[in-house]
Amino acid sequence: MMTGNTLTRELGWRLLRKLREIRQFEERIIPVYPTDVMVTPVHLHIGQEAVPVGVCDHLRPHDLVFIGHRTHGVALAKGMSMGSLMAELYGRTTGCAQGFGGSMHVCDPANGLPGSSALVGGSIALGVGAALAARLGKRDQLVVSCFGDGAADAGVFWESLNFAALKSVPVLFLCEDNGLSNVMRKEDHLHADPGVVAGHFMQVWRADGTDVLSVREAAGEAFAHIRATGRPALLWCATKRWMKHQGVEADDLACNPVDREKDCPIRKLEQALLSAGLATQAEIEQLGGEIESEIDAAIMFAEQSPFPDPGMLATEV
Amino acid sequence: MPWSRFDQSHAAPEGGGRIITFKDAIREAIDQAMIHDPRVFAIGLDADDKFGVFGSMLNLAHPERVIGAPISENAVTGIALGAALNGLRPICIHLRVDFLLVAMDQVVNYIAKWRYMTRGRIKVPIVVRAVIGRGWGCGAQHSQSLGGLFAHIPGLKVVMPSNPYDVKGLFLAAVKDDWPVIFLEHRWLYKNTGSVPEDMYVLPLGKGRIARAGNKLTVVATSLAVIDTLNAVSGANLDVEVIDPRCLKPLDEELILTSVRKTGRLLVVDYDFPACGFAAEVCAVVAEKAAHHLKSPVQRMTFPESPMPASGILEKAYYPNPDSIAARIRAMLDGVC
Ligand SMILES: Cc1ncc(C[n+]2csc(CCOP(=O)(O)OP(=O)(O)O)c2C)c(N)n1
Ligand SMILES: [Mg+2]
Repeated sequence: MMTGNTLTRELGWRLLRKLREIRQFEERIIPVYPTDVMVTPVHLHIGQEAVPVGVCDHLRPHDLVFIGHRTHGVALAKGMSMGSLMAELYGRTTGCAQGFGGSMHVCDPANGLPGSSALVGGSIALGVGAALAARLGKRDQLVVSCFGDGAADAGVFWESLNFAALKSVPVLFLCEDNGLSNVMRKEDHLHADPGVVAGHFMQVWRADGTDVLSVREAAGEAFAHIRATGRPALLWCATKRWMKHQGVEADDLACNPVDREKDCPIRKLEQALLSAGLATQAEIEQLGGEIESEIDAAIMFAEQSPFPDPGMLATEV
Repeated sequence: MPWSRFDQSHAAPEGGGRIITFKDAIREAIDQAMIHDPRVFAIGLDADDKFGVFGSMLNLAHPERVIGAPISENAVTGIALGAALNGLRPICIHLRVDFLLVAMDQVVNYIAKWRYMTRGRIKVPIVVRAVIGRGWGCGAQHSQSLGGLFAHIPGLKVVMPSNPYDVKGLFLAAVKDDWPVIFLEHRWLYKNTGSVPEDMYVLPLGKGRIARAGNKLTVVATSLAVIDTLNAVSGANLDVEVIDPRCLKPLDEELILTSVRKTGRLLVVDYDFPACGFAAEVCAVVAEKAAHHLKSPVQRMTFPESPMPASGILEKAYYPNPDSIAARIRAMLDGVC
């Protein structure tokens, strides 16, 4: 697994495809959401795509990622099919949780997604436990606990950090720091930078969470460290939330000015590819079109799938 | 701060008067409690944000006594307890009761037990407000009620109001009380309106009300289930007595038993999980103290024995509603009237 960041066509193209899959998938949610075909609270990843894509590029299907409430970007980056996710949002039996979970509860065991939590914080501990299991079982498996800056408020974050450091649990703590906990600015919910404190417990990497190459490089180093030492690491990615905390409207908080040119992970990578002569504008447009057709298929798949039978209500319990 | 001044009769006003929403009744209660007693303050995640806890905390006279918090429910609930132990009367706020579960250690191991362990030398005047949400695909972790879970714990009072008049009087009673009170507000009631006096008044915790008088069957329900039951009963014109105990604990057993002795039939409509729950408790009380008055077996109507699903079609099947309540009542009364 290479950690270096020489931008090749193969690498750039792979990352760009994932970034665009997430962006375009979610952009298709926006117009249909007000019509209530998806009856589930969504937390969009738009603007933050570089974080899951840069990290998951290092992961194999059996490596695990634990997620909180903002699920779509990580799920797609980790390999969940668009149809499976779309059908879950549509509440259909073919969804990844047969319509029982909705946007905040996605899972895909074959792609290393053991589930996600609508409650903030708790899933951080699950990643530590899974990594402990991997170590005890001497398994070649990476585990990531993915969470937001708001989750770093919670006791369970600090308890997990301490436990992982104390017991040498080879887990990656991955913070998608969008500077916001719902409508609260980071300064209003965190007194100091948790990355600094965490540095006393484990090695900390920082990356620009609007730049997939920055995230990928830092994640590569962090994973190499975890593999080499068997110790945990923290990767803190400062990124930008473009949309409101929940729902499909653009964010309008005064404290969260978004520059859709400058802060765009897709635009950044495309510029890099174009200026290095690794892609042409026409190719990029073609890629966008291909992904659009895949999303069409996912939506058609979801729309044509049956709703779950209420007779299933009291199953799996 | 002589709270005793507000011990008034707890009869609901006979129509007329000022009509306000359930949400505004809570807001007024919080505002008046804070104005009346400088020891009262509010604390919790989003307590001070622009949405004001679904509007229930907006435009208060003492915003300086509203303390927002990070996502640190367990610590914040313990911090509220610590403030209560040092002379204040905290209102600890949780936007969803599901979030309160993160603080279960503080609630069950500390708040519920402190007064007992200190032999009452230390009082615990704390109100823990939590909002029950549901619907629109909120799913398993954002739709729970859990009143029965809290009522299971000795040392906690549990209030589940159903209407604007009650919510104001019960909330003020909870703030006034020297015991910890878990105050569960159903989000779906927030827009409901009713007559509410402007003055401060308290309703005793542990006294229920007859929401509708009737003779053939007693239905016991709380919170949103009261409203759905009243709609079910009045829509179908059924001769049913609807009892709203207002509090799961202390429970107004006498009110329930008197009604069951008259009607001989009991249905408990409890919007919560069934096993070891509030409905089971009410049935047990009736079985212990009024079994020989029963003309037919007691019945429970609750959520299914499963978490909440997300998909709309499953949600519809999951929750009882006025139609399914009416159908159940009719089935119980089949051949009786
Ligand atoms: C225990 C708990 N408390 C509160 C909430 C309500 N809530 C949902 S998301 C959120 C903000 C989380 O912020 P962050 O962790 O930074 O993630 P982001 O939404 O920014 O991705 C809050 C407060 C919750 N879901 N769970
Ligand atoms: Mg955040």
